[in-house]
Amino acid sequence: MKLKINHPAPSDRESSGPRYWRSLDELAATPAFQGWVEKEFPAGASFLEGNDRRNFLKIMAASFGLAGVGLAGCRQQTRHLLPYSKQTDRVVPGVPVFFASSMPGADESIPVIVETHDARPTKIEGNPSYKAYSGATNVHTQSSVLDLYDPDRAQYSSGANGAPISPAQVMDVLKKLGSTYAATGGEGLYFVADRSISPTRARIVRKIQARFPKAVWAEYEAVDNANPERAATAVLGRTVRPLYHFDKATRVLSLDSDFLHTEPGHLGYSRGFAQSRRIKNGTDADPEKMIRLYAVESNFSLTGANADHRLRLPTSYIWSATALLAAEILSQSGSGASQQAIDALREMGKAASANAKWIAECAKDLVAHRGKSAIVAGAQLPVEVHQLVLLLNSALGAIGSTLTLAALPERPAASTLADVAKALDAGSVKTLFILNGNPVYNASGDLGFAGKLAKFKAAKGEVIRYGYHGRKADETSQQADTFIAGLHYLESWGDGLTWDGFHVPVQPMIQPLFEGFGEIDVLAILSGDSTTDAYAYVHDTFSSLNPGKSFEEWLAIGVTGAGYAASSATVSFSGLSTLVAATAKIETPVVDETHLEVRFVPGITGDGRFANNGWLQECPDPMTKLTWDNAIFVSPKLAKQKFPELLPGGTTMSKGPLGLLSPQARKNDNDFVTGREIARIAEITVNGQTIKGPVSILPGLADYTVVIPLGYGRKVAGNVGLHVGFDAYPLTKFAGTLSCSAAGATMRLVDDTYRLANVQEHWSMEGRAIIREASVDDYKAHPEFVKAMDVEAHSPPIYGKDRNMSPQQKATDIPRGNSLYNTHPNSVPAPNVPVWNTPEGLKDFPTPQQWGMSIDLNTCLGCTACLVACQAENNIPIVGKDQVMRGREMHWIRLDRYFASGPVKSADGKDVYTAADELPEDPQVTFQSVACQHCELAPCENVCPFMATLHDDSGLNTMAYNRCVGTKYCANNCPYKVRRFNFFDWNKREIGQFYRGPLGENYYDTDASQLTQMQKNPDVSVRMRGVMEKCTYCVQRIEAAKINQRVKARDSGDTKVPDGTIQPACAQACPTESIVFGDVSDANSAVSIAKSSDRNYAVLGYLNVRPRTTYLAKIRNPNPAMPDYAAQPLSRQEYESRYGHKEPGAAEKSADKTPAGATKS
Amino acid sequence: MAHANDDSLRDRPAILAKVQPLTTLPRKPLVLNNREFHWITEKICRIVEDPAPTWWWVCFLVSASISIFLGIGLLWLVSTGVGVWGLRPPTFWGWDIVNFVWWIGIGHAGTLISAILCLLRQKWRTAINRSAEAMTIFAVMCAGIFPLFHVGRIWLAWWLFPIPISEATWPNFHSPLEWDVFAVSTYFTVSVLFWYMGMIPDLGTLRDRAVKTWRKYFYGILAMGWRNSVRHWNNYEMAYLILAGLSTPLVLSVHTVVSFDFAAGIIPGWHTTIFPPYFVAGAIFSGFGMVLTLVLPLRTMFKLHDLITQHHIDCMCKIILATGSMVGYAYAMEFYIAWYGGNIYEGFTFINRAFGQYGWAYWIMISCNVISPQLFWFRKVRENTALVFIIMLFVNCGMWFERFVIIVTSLANDFLPSSWGYYSPSIVDIFTFFGTMGFFSTLFLLFVRFLPMLPIAEVKHVTPAADPHYHPEPDTAYAAAPAAVGAGKGGRR
Repeated sequence: MKLKINHPAPSDRESSGPRYWRSLDELAATPAFQGWVEKEFPAGASFLEGNDRRNFLKIMAASFGLAGVGLAGCRQQTRHLLPYSKQTDRVVPGVPVFFASSMPGADESIPVIVETHDARPTKIEGNPSYKAYSGATNVHTQSSVLDLYDPDRAQYSSGANGAPISPAQVMDVLKKLGSTYAATGGEGLYFVADRSISPTRARIVRKIQARFPKAVWAEYEAVDNANPERAATAVLGRTVRPLYHFDKATRVLSLDSDFLHTEPGHLGYSRGFAQSRRIKNGTDADPEKMIRLYAVESNFSLTGANADHRLRLPTSYIWSATALLAAEILSQSGSGASQQAIDALREMGKAASANAKWIAECAKDLVAHRGKSAIVAGAQLPVEVHQLVLLLNSALGAIGSTLTLAALPERPAASTLADVAKALDAGSVKTLFILNGNPVYNASGDLGFAGKLAKFKAAKGEVIRYGYHGRKADETSQQADTFIAGLHYLESWGDGLTWDGFHVPVQPMIQPLFEGFGEIDVLAILSGDSTTDAYAYVHDTFSSLNPGKSFEEWLAIGVTGAGYAASSATVSFSGLSTLVAATAKIETPVVDETHLEVRFVPGITGDGRFANNGWLQECPDPMTKLTWDNAIFVSPKLAKQKFPELLPGGTTMSKGPLGLLSPQARKNDNDFVTGREIARIAEITVNGQTIKGPVSILPGLADYTVVIPLGYGRKVAGNVGLHVGFDAYPLTKFAGTLSCSAAGATMRLVDDTYRLANVQEHWSMEGRAIIREASVDDYKAHPEFVKAMDVEAHSPPIYGKDRNMSPQQKATDIPRGNSLYNTHPNSVPAPNVPVWNTPEGLKDFPTPQQWGMSIDLNTCLGCTACLVACQAENNIPIVGKDQVMRGREMHWIRLDRYFASGPVKSADGKDVYTAADELPEDPQVTFQSVACQHCELAPCENVCPFMATLHDDSGLNTMAYNRCVGTKYCANNCPYKVRRFNFFDWNKREIGQFYRGPLGENYYDTDASQLTQMQKNPDVSVRMRGVMEKCTYCVQRIEAAKINQRVKARDSGDTKVPDGTIQPACAQACPTESIVFGDVSDANSAVSIAKSSDRNYAVLGYLNVRPRTTYLAKIRNPNPAMPDYAAQPLSRQEYESRYGHKEPGAAEKSADKTPAGATKS
Repeated sequence: MAHANDDSLRDRPAILAKVQPLTTLPRKPLVLNNREFHWITEKICRIVEDPAPTWWWVCFLVSASISIFLGIGLLWLVSTGVGVWGLRPPTFWGWDIVNFVWWIGIGHAGTLISAILCLLRQKWRTAINRSAEAMTIFAVMCAGIFPLFHVGRIWLAWWLFPIPISEATWPNFHSPLEWDVFAVSTYFTVSVLFWYMGMIPDLGTLRDRAVKTWRKYFYGILAMGWRNSVRHWNNYEMAYLILAGLSTPLVLSVHTVVSFDFAAGIIPGWHTTIFPPYFVAGAIFSGFGMVLTLVLPLRTMFKLHDLITQHHIDCMCKIILATGSMVGYAYAMEFYIAWYGGNIYEGFTFINRAFGQYGWAYWIMISCNVISPQLFWFRKVRENTALVFIIMLFVNCGMWFERFVIIVTSLANDFLPSSWGYYSPSIVDIFTFFGTMGFFSTLFLLFVRFLPMLPIAEVKHVTPAADPHYHPEPDTAYAAAPAAVGAGKGGRR
């Protein structure tokens, strides 16, 4: 660019005073000179003013000409970059800086490491220093970085009329509030806060409570998980939290609990569970050592999905089932409980007696593994259930082995939201301070909180609101008289405790993007401080909790302490009779086809707080595979009996006469016509409230329980969260906490339909050997069972020097070669880099490492964290509901969910499951995460005419975005269908404007884009439209590690990246470590060891594409004594009946014979 | 020639001498009513020279309006993104490639008629070869639009050509799509050459007859100085033969290469070795279908019954019957191999084709392609022009569905059931396809107006008068034909 110096225009004084001019231009610009010129050359005057018509035409002609000539080089706007003129301390351009922090929550903080590029947090990962999680994260943690850059977050605090107010004014409001109420001891001052585990906040809250003794501090979480603690506290008389150790357990019963997915501590629990579930080889398989999970539940949760035996019961029946179970366990274990109490329990458990055998056998198994078994009750179940479960765990000898009772620090005393609602009615509230949360939206329906708040405001009550989303994006903030803008946890100081009590920091790594206050700042001012210093507060808390430890080290490592101490309290059985007496009157409500039960579960957006997060909205629910919506989920049986309109063809999602997709079912209203699930709308009435929502049939639910995810249907939310789903909170009731189920509901279909965006339309695996499963006994007997499945097991030997090798073996054992084409073997460096061919070059660049991945289906729980982690790492855009309905979602990893059903007969010959082509009522479910398999002989590569997808030296199937012109041929030819195409400029257009093309608004030009762009990972290109993309094994991480290693190696020549250094985002996030990545050419690498398992197989191995990602088969551990025992997993049964060898065991026999038969032919 | 001479009598089987039939079985005349040369010249040139009939204007305006859809559809596509089409994973190719293969298939008949039938000395080809070649060229143009515009970044599509570019990389010669580029562009080039070169003597005729100056120049330039000299004729005939020889393998290669797009893929339903012959048979089938669809109305409108005779229609119907049966055999064979191969994925694909979610498309294909041509076994059907025209519409429709069935059903339900989906086109897909029909008919109507629709010189070649040994015999066996008069009177112009 040409340097242009603009002189300031001459001032008036200069014009009137003595005339000096610095240039002729300047002289020419003076009014006097211009006047003179106009008089002297009237025709030329216009030259000075600008362009005349002729000149204009000349210039335009020239520029059109040049534009035509130069169009070939016209690519994008020229933008200028300014380099650092001086290196900033600790910032190396292009090298990310990592900070340890933690994501705060109501019951636990999740320790994280945050990757920042040029001081922008871009990616959140679990903190591996916290051994209990070892770097695991969940979808909410992964996606929380996007909330930081939410264009709809509050950007300023505001007063009553919504006008912005400055931080100083906010301080004034807070100080005035403090001084006003300090005089009266806080009479009429009410706080409604979210629950928090932060010791610093607890400290300040106590200070506030001391300053305003008469003020009411209430805490509310719509999805409250503290009932186990409340129960344990009630039984033991002190604040105690039951902490499970599934790594030590072999038999576990879950009672309507989702401890593997939605409940706090699930990351550690998943890890422990996976540890007990993991098997290396068939020889190690032992049903006694491997954990066996029983689940009793109404919803189909991930915990239920991973259970070996699953009993579908309405949530209202869980109490009965628990009582029956208690009777069985107490009588079988000889715990010394009185016969009277046992009889009373049996009486209470009458409602569940239809499943008495299931419960009795389960109890027998739990008792038989005394000390290694545990019972987990759902966190939302009533306190009584938890009390009984605690006694049972004690009877099973779980306490001290598979379960410890952790002594929790006392939390500040808190009232409930119901108390506040009552006070609002009574008129005793003068000022209501709402800290975080969103009670206007998510308070239980029967509290009528929103209405009471409106009445309170009408009566001139003052509402002060501290929150992250402002008036336009939050129901509660909208009601505020004074709104105080909050900060994201990545911008503020704080601390927290992990699920098991380690102290973790919350530290800022970016200056607040907007003027806001940290939670600690606001509370500190209220507690009487004149200035705020959150850092000092956190520092003080740290010092008092961890005397003698270094604060800096804590910030650097991100975790310290020893965890909660195990409580010495013992559970005594003396309480049993009182408990029995107190609970004898609990009635089990009628649940049948006219009295439905509604079960509320947290949706993927939590209780609605993450509603404005596009990654989460587009993240498919692991079980239902719905995105961008919730629905009323009904069981197939209910649909068949009560709502046949949902199944006009008899069986929705069913298969036709030949075991295929039935064209008739395709045509049905409720089915996936044109790729969209067209759902009927229903009205549900319970507790006198009625709501409407689309109905979707979900196999595996309790027959008369309808499940509704909470957290949708926000009325005031940001751009993303608005018009998503429907709100189910009006149906809910408050019983200490929000009651998770409601009985006595009625449902009727409305004559209306609604389109749902479902990313997986087909539930059945069609008997194909895609996910290979076996029961542990079968696996023990036939360790090579995976090799005896699918087409490859049936294929005769073909040609080539390895003709006798089975395609299965070829697919997994020999990565390359044996092809007609001369593909270069792994040991030869790339021929086009001359330096590599010299001896010195070979020394500097030895044989590249060969990357591969192993995914253990046995420990994959289906949590979907990998999907969101990948999205965060690789700048994967969201596409919106409309495009998801067209199947154009961009996730590089998808999590396939298959239901399997099949005829299962109980020991007495009764049908447990019915025919395979029915819509299954009680299916087994399997998950499989599928990303690019990085095939050695990749079918996508040879069909691309532009050579945009190629193999590299280290076995990666790479994608050159710049070369891609978008024929989509590669995606067609990909057998795994893992390639994603940019049908539109996802990044350039707002969702909803895709079809407007150049007429739509360019999102890059908007302020919102400025914000969201900051999240993008600079190491990964942002793809434009017309380009294919797919999983790269996180090639940017591989390259970074290689560069690091080369720098480190210097002259040693040891440029091999050590095993475990590189973790793709998915593997990093996986709580169960079921994704293992590494060098497959190194026999000692973790991935090679994983792949050496006899369960290792390649999906579609017969295609001879030789994928680098292989899977380890899933092993189930069923109990033969159970009434629903199936000797083989149902998907395996279906495979064997459709495609397998007809006589049992023949597949294994033929697998043994294959080499022999091959040599003969 | 059509008439028996002494040589052929000498080669007669001995049995004929014994039974002594009353007459030799004559060949069917290719020009009825013993039309003389001058009549032929007049008939064909008048189409170009007379003012355009009203129906032509109506058709032209309608076609041109329809072709606007093509422009708008492509403009929207390029400015907005491929997402405006209905493509949805796993069906990354939908109507775009269906239309491409359909149009390319249609483009087969022209070269087959002009090259293969020429080499095989099928003289009946002369009446239809010009319009068939024109049809070929326009069909290939329509076909080319789709693969060109279906790419995500069309402004880079020139990378398909092996020219040095900044990335210093070549296109991938392993890719069947790359083969398509060469196959289709070669085919198009040779077809245009062939068509144009064959037209040169006729353009000379038009030039010589031209009255208006612009016509003199227009046809004068196009005729490239054709002077009707013997040397010209000699060169012309040699070149024609060479081009016919060159085009013959192209007829087979183009659709073979197009079929490789699928056969080289590994998707069940695509990955079959039967595709090349099956596609070529299908292409000829659909090409002849389209020729008849175009020629029958033109024959009626321009009253060309003497030049395009029932015999021509009969021949084409028979070819359609033959190729339709071949296609039917291929359909059956695919099923058999799917069963015989024992591959569960392959087996599923085929049963799903017939009975799955796209079963309706499959049965449309079967009834149009396999069942409807079987009517041509009956002479009555072949002689009923209206019925032939209707069956041709079925054939065109059926062949479109064949491509739809192959491409879409294979992709929509492939290996992993989790990614299965149901593809349906968007309004843009539909209008763009509709637009290509308008584009095609516009070009064809212009061709009819401005270029000799039938090859004047070649038609004259096949009249009895062109035979140097021809002597009109009063006792000729053609019952319908009056005594031929004025042999050589018209002469070649």
